[in-house]
Amino acid sequence: MNHITARVAWSLGLILAVIVMCFSLIHLAPGDVAIVIAGDSGAGDPEVIAEIREDLGLDDPFLVQLGGYVGDVAQGDLGTSYRFNEPVTELIVTRLWPTFLLVGTAVSFAIVLGVLVGVFTARRPESPVSHGVTVFSLTGYSMPVFWTGLLLVIMFASNVQWFPVSGMRDVRLEGNWLEEWIDVAHHLVLPAITLGVIYLAQYSRLSRASMLEVLQSDYVRTARAKGLAERRVVYKHALRNAVIPVVTVAGLQFGQMLSGALLVETVFNWPGLGRLAADSVFQRDAPVLLGILILSSTLVVIINILTDIVYRLIDPRIRVGGPSQ
Amino acid sequence: MRKRLLALLAILLSFAMLAAACGDDDDAGGDAGDDMATEDDSGDDMDDEPAEDDDESTADMSDVAEEAEGSDAGDSGAVDTGPVAGGTLLIQSTQVPRHLNGTVQSGYATAVPGTQLNASPLLFDENFQPQPYLAESWEIADDGLSVTLNLVQGAVFHDGEPITSEDVKFSLETSQANHPFKTMFAAVSSVDTPDDHTVVINLSEPHPAILLAMSPGLLPIIPEHVYNDGQEIKEHPCNAGTDCFVGSGPFTLAEYEAGSIIRLKAFEDFFIADRPYLDEIIIEIVPDPASIVIGLENGDTDLSATLGGAANVVRLQENDDVIVTADGHAAVGPIQWLEFNLADPALSNVVVRQAIADAIDREFMSDVLDLGTTFPATTGIHPGSPFHNPNTEQYGAGIEAAQARLADAGIDPSTISLAIDYIPVSGSQLAYAEYIVQQLQDVGFDAEVNTLPDFPSWAGRVAAGEHQMTVNNVWNWGDPVIGVHRTYLSTNNVGVIWTNNTGYNNPDVDALLAQAGAEFDFDTRVDLYAQAQEIINQDVPMVYLNTPPFWQAFQPRVQNPPIGIWGQLGPMHEVWLAE
Amino acid sequence: MTVPVTGVSPEQGDLGPPGRQALRLFIRNKAAVFGLVLLTAIVFMTLFGSFFYDQDPSRIIARPLQGPGEGDAPALGTDYLGRDVLAGVVNGGSTSLTVALVAVLLVAVIGVSLGAISGYYGGWIDVALMRVTELFQVLPALLFAMVIVALFEPSTRSVAVAIGLASWPQTARLTRAEFLRLKNLEFVKAARASGASDFRIIWRVIFPNALPPLIVSITLIMGAAILFESGLAFLGLGDPNSQSWGLMIGLSRQTFLNGWWTVTFPGLAIFATVLSFSLIGDGLQDAFNPKLRGR
Repeated sequence: MNHITARVAWSLGLILAVIVMCFSLIHLAPGDVAIVIAGDSGAGDPEVIAEIREDLGLDDPFLVQLGGYVGDVAQGDLGTSYRFNEPVTELIVTRLWPTFLLVGTAVSFAIVLGVLVGVFTARRPESPVSHGVTVFSLTGYSMPVFWTGLLLVIMFASNVQWFPVSGMRDVRLEGNWLEEWIDVAHHLVLPAITLGVIYLAQYSRLSRASMLEVLQSDYVRTARAKGLAERRVVYKHALRNAVIPVVTVAGLQFGQMLSGALLVETVFNWPGLGRLAADSVFQRDAPVLLGILILSSTLVVIINILTDIVYRLIDPRIRVGGPSQ
Repeated sequence: MRKRLLALLAILLSFAMLAAACGDDDDAGGDAGDDMATEDDSGDDMDDEPAEDDDESTADMSDVAEEAEGSDAGDSGAVDTGPVAGGTLLIQSTQVPRHLNGTVQSGYATAVPGTQLNASPLLFDENFQPQPYLAESWEIADDGLSVTLNLVQGAVFHDGEPITSEDVKFSLETSQANHPFKTMFAAVSSVDTPDDHTVVINLSEPHPAILLAMSPGLLPIIPEHVYNDGQEIKEHPCNAGTDCFVGSGPFTLAEYEAGSIIRLKAFEDFFIADRPYLDEIIIEIVPDPASIVIGLENGDTDLSATLGGAANVVRLQENDDVIVTADGHAAVGPIQWLEFNLADPALSNVVVRQAIADAIDREFMSDVLDLGTTFPATTGIHPGSPFHNPNTEQYGAGIEAAQARLADAGIDPSTISLAIDYIPVSGSQLAYAEYIVQQLQDVGFDAEVNTLPDFPSWAGRVAAGEHQMTVNNVWNWGDPVIGVHRTYLSTNNVGVIWTNNTGYNNPDVDALLAQAGAEFDFDTRVDLYAQAQEIINQDVPMVYLNTPPFWQAFQPRVQNPPIGIWGQLGPMHEVWLAE
Repeated sequence: MTVPVTGVSPEQGDLGPPGRQALRLFIRNKAAVFGLVLLTAIVFMTLFGSFFYDQDPSRIIARPLQGPGEGDAPALGTDYLGRDVLAGVVNGGSTSLTVALVAVLLVAVIGVSLGAISGYYGGWIDVALMRVTELFQVLPALLFAMVIVALFEPSTRSVAVAIGLASWPQTARLTRAEFLRLKNLEFVKAARASGASDFRIIWRVIFPNALPPLIVSITLIMGAAILFESGLAFLGLGDPNSQSWGLMIGLSRQTFLNGWWTVTFPGLAIFATVLSFSLIGDGLQDAFNPKLRGR
């Protein structure tokens, strides 16, 4: 427990460091947000630009701005979007669920299918299916995710129109909750597959490797020697030990998944956090950008801690010496 | 291992074949449509520029034939039955509004939803003639120093409060103080409200264009009782809050998700009886024009004006299920040109500029680069405007002519280095820049394209005069005083984008423009502007490239589509759906 | 966008490069060799391709959006500006590969140095450096890189630096793990006993033995860097004056429905390049760890 407390305490400091670093980066770097905002309005006089700078406090000394910002964040106030004039927290909350849905579905699909495939092919490691898995895992990982997405759009936009290629829902639809869920699921298929393929590729290979290792372990040999049914041996004992590495890796890759989500959301017009983040970079919408950077980092830190805890619970033999392992 | 290898090769090959097979069958090498326009499909907003104050007697803007804007693939969706109430219109747009209060925010993105939510004193018909809206009648004093509006009786806001002259006064003063187009109402010295339905606008000088400034997109009437509460209006929560937004227009704000969707519902107590016809308008923001095209093709999307480039326009034109038109938006008047920085030593010589103008084949640009979706432009005034002068000196005589011009003046092009900028993120302008560079290299110049990563970088560079020449897209805004004067007046070189960034300084032109801007007589104005355009074309501060219409695509069931002079920047209370 | 290296190498034992045996194993691995051949072909095309096919990729040569073999279109068609897609593919590699190379160099230098120092010295140095590593590791890599590139103006240099900064933590971790493992082995103790300086021990003694997993990791990071660069270019944050594959795809986004070839072929090029690195990396891993072969 002490370890966990220390870990949490340290993580708070880490997040503070993230805030300071990102704020400094964005505010000290070239690129005038006032011009962007003025450009939105038709780029009026220099007066307008000066007004904007004053309204946003861009002319205050840097440390004042930084201090103010950190103080605000501590109270849960992420500021107001330059572009939309709305509280950043509100904007983020609105976009959080679609991204969560996308990443969650993609990862679940990748883990479940990956483990199944890995288990299946571990029992027949030299089969064509197994070789196919290897090939697929290499190609799946090597394909740029936005390219995969675009190919799917090409396929499903014109020729075979089974799935919508844009957006999260049909805005016209006014049905009951079930119809709305089905509509969203319908829109979710292509983006989730696009994002999931990358991880499916890795997890199927990883779980196969883990399964192979476990199947050859003393533990399983003993169980077999005892005469337990093959099925029980495989699916009950080996499986659990093989799943662990996959889940661990998935947890560690959470940060990457957000990056992948950003690209997938861009290709499929999925209204999530990734797209908001990309827009905020181009629009120089610093509060939103900072908010997302902080949120994302915080999520990663939390997931790391959780993975830590779960890992220790599952296998207390493993000595977890902190993030460095 | 061998199996792996073969499987690998098979996968690589099948991907290529799959993509080929499943790829789109359309070869948008496309036939040329009749009309030409490309949209500036940048992720940035389709923005307008600061409006100068205009002196425009709109009564004189008659017979504005939209010659350059003829429609092509038929308005064949018209049906014979009368208007039917009901239905939902789904508009998809790439443009993202910052909020919905048009008194403090200009731009296409705000005006499309904004003009549905808020009414204005006047509407304008296809001949640029003012029509009653919130003002049922109006008078201009003989000395031109005041305008009296008589508001319609019984008009109410969405919350039931009556729309009074106080609201008009408040809206105008708010715009005067906050709207980026500083000069729109600069000539207004005061606004009087003798009674609840009469507004007297007092001007410090004759300013005929005040009428046009009362278009829905330029002067939305907002409720004083909501916005006049001491909060800074530019950040007022009711600018986009669904729970407190109150407007005067035919539609109410039902849902607003920043950057995603705007849902508008019909306002039952709208002051025009039996309007709007539609139950609901949904404006869905879709950043990717390709998705909008797909939506139009499979019938999900009803209407869009952000089609994303020539190839998409042509593709839709070839689709029989969708109606595509270049009609509408004549008052906006966009023009694309190549402007020079006259402070540059090489470009300060008019012969060099004329040679460059000769090297550019505008027909090629419109026909081939833009696949026939834009029109070549000849002057800085949009061809749809009555002030356009169709008889000015033109160039484009070809590479040899350009070389001859330079040779006659003893100028060696190989000693001149030129860099062209363009509005970034815009596909079509990159094409123009590339093409122009190639032509210039053929003439013998040392030319290259300068690519910047985004709009702020470009705007900053041009505003600071760090460029040599740049492709640009500037809007006329109906009356030359609003959108044209600012480019040529020598007094307007103020270091901000979309002002006089060339540094052009011709006292004759200054005088002509000033005179034309204060002139009531229509024919005199036409003549004055004609002279100005002649001189400008001889001076060649820029080379006019083309006019890109706002191509709109819609389903046949959409009746009375927004193809008026303001296009989608006007209320759609007359639009209905045939089923 | 880096991938975790699964399967850390088992005990290597003492000095003496496992190199020769690994090389033999590598050559026998057909997939790995295929990867190497593929990469060579791509590099060759990048370096010398323009001698054989000297079309200028930025020049407008024909009507926009003509498919392969249509009209007077070149082999792979034209893009939305009327430029030659094949020329773009041939020339696009140089940017992507250059950026990836520089980024990986940065990753190697920063990551290995920090990891080595951290692993060797331990104590508070280790703690401090690992905290810094963690700081960079929790940041969302793509977004962080986007911020750096956008704020400092996209160019080959800024993109490479951004990718490097976003990718080095993993290498640092790996190096540190290797150093932790190796520093208490006999041959290292012997070197210390013989009075060698810290610097010499780190770089001359331990580091060569830490190389195998590092080489594998760096190879895979090369592939990841190419994916990274193409992702940034796709989003509009590539060097606008260059012609990278990702940029080609990004620019064609609005019109790709009218011309599948404008995104398919550049994407194939990226895919092939990354695949070659994956195969090579895989092959190296198998070669260095024969026990884990066949996975």
